[in-house]
Amino acid sequence: MGGGQRADRRRRQAATRATASGRAVASARTSTSGSADRTKVITAIAVVLVLAAAVIGGVLWQRSRSAPPALTQAPVSAAYPVALDGEVVVAGKDSAKVTVDVYEDFLCPACGSFEERDGDKIEQALTAGTLGVRYHILNMLDDKSNPPGYSLDAGSAALCAADAGIFPGYHASLFANQPREGGRGHTTDQLIQLGHDLGAGDSFDSCVRSGAHKTAVSAQLQAALADPSLRRPGPDGGQYFGTPTVVLAGSVVDLSKSTWLDDALRAAAG
Amino acid sequence: MGGRRAAGTLATVVRDVVGTLARVGLAAVWLISGGLKAADPSQTYLTVSAFDVLPAAAVGPVAAALPFVELAIGVLLLVGFGVRPAAVASTVLLVAFVAGVGQAWARGLSIDCGCFGGGGPVDPSRTRYPQELARDLGFLLLAVWLVVRPHTLLAADALLVGRPAIAEDGG
Repeated sequence: MGGGQRADRRRRQAATRATASGRAVASARTSTSGSADRTKVITAIAVVLVLAAAVIGGVLWQRSRSAPPALTQAPVSAAYPVALDGEVVVAGKDSAKVTVDVYEDFLCPACGSFEERDGDKIEQALTAGTLGVRYHILNMLDDKSNPPGYSLDAGSAALCAADAGIFPGYHASLFANQPREGGRGHTTDQLIQLGHDLGAGDSFDSCVRSGAHKTAVSAQLQAALADPSLRRPGPDGGQYFGTPTVVLAGSVVDLSKSTWLDDALRAAAG
Repeated sequence: MGGRRAAGTLATVVRDVVGTLARVGLAAVWLISGGLKAADPSQTYLTVSAFDVLPAAAVGPVAAALPFVELAIGVLLLVGFGVRPAAVASTVLLVAFVAGVGQAWARGLSIDCGCFGGGGPVDPSRTRYPQELARDLGFLLLAVWLVVRPHTLLAADALLVGRPAIAEDGG
């Protein structure tokens, strides 16, 4: 009897102990998951704060570093006559035997390369009176500057420069100091300052500031985009308009051929 | 009984290792892509703008913030702090990227400047769309794994949730 009772008591005690320890573990687990949840929430908030700091830091850093690029006067030896024919800048002498239409955007990198390679030759031919150029200034890449709109600002200012009689130097200076695509363009103040450096009067100021020629630049772009004869075949076989485009005697010039101007002048002379 | 527990432990270890590789891999992706974007802000601006989704006024701030958000997520994942929220942020960003590339592909956008010779859709960019999507979906897989199972080895998170675990042992 005694042995059986003792065994029974032991068993009961063990069971009580097991239940107690089980309860303890359960309660420990509850408190653990509570503090783990708190840790998770705090961690999540910390992550959100880190990401918010990254956003604010990025925007502030971008703002602090994006000073506008320098805009200085480019040396221009040429002195060719310029007139405005509606929205088109007509450069060169009336007696010129060869006349080309040039479609350009002041932000377009390919236009910058084109001017760097052929600009001097074109200016010399304009000055010599052998070549006439009809410049169509476009705002093709308005959304490619940060902030957007440099193409339009610069194009409009260049037409103001034509009004002020300083187009040759202005045009050359804008391409010589071309801003990077995706970067900040020259400011309105810089565009005005360049005009004054080149000898423009006070009316140039208000012309640039009021964006007097902006409508004309946009109209030129729309006209160019709508003109099928200005399109070239793209790599996929479609027809596309791009800048720079040079049109000679009704057909688009292949600018990859670097002798295109010499060839045209020679053909006209001979 | 003992054998089953050992098998369970082994599976856990394998999952931990897979998770750790996913975490470090995704961290590397963000650090590299964020670093490259931060190094060339002009190009980043053009890239964001080329997707042609955001209003013009939003392109600048997004292009400015994006590289640093990517870098921040990369650092968080690398040290293993807030793995699940960082993985959620990764998922959101990657879904946005997939949507951006997908809509560009679907709309047949010309992701080029429209300059000399570059106007319109270009052959290389056309052939790259599927690869870009496949790559982003692969990264998305890593991110989703970490959202579902954020526990990994050598993570800073373990130091934080480690403390209550010790308290449980004591009680």
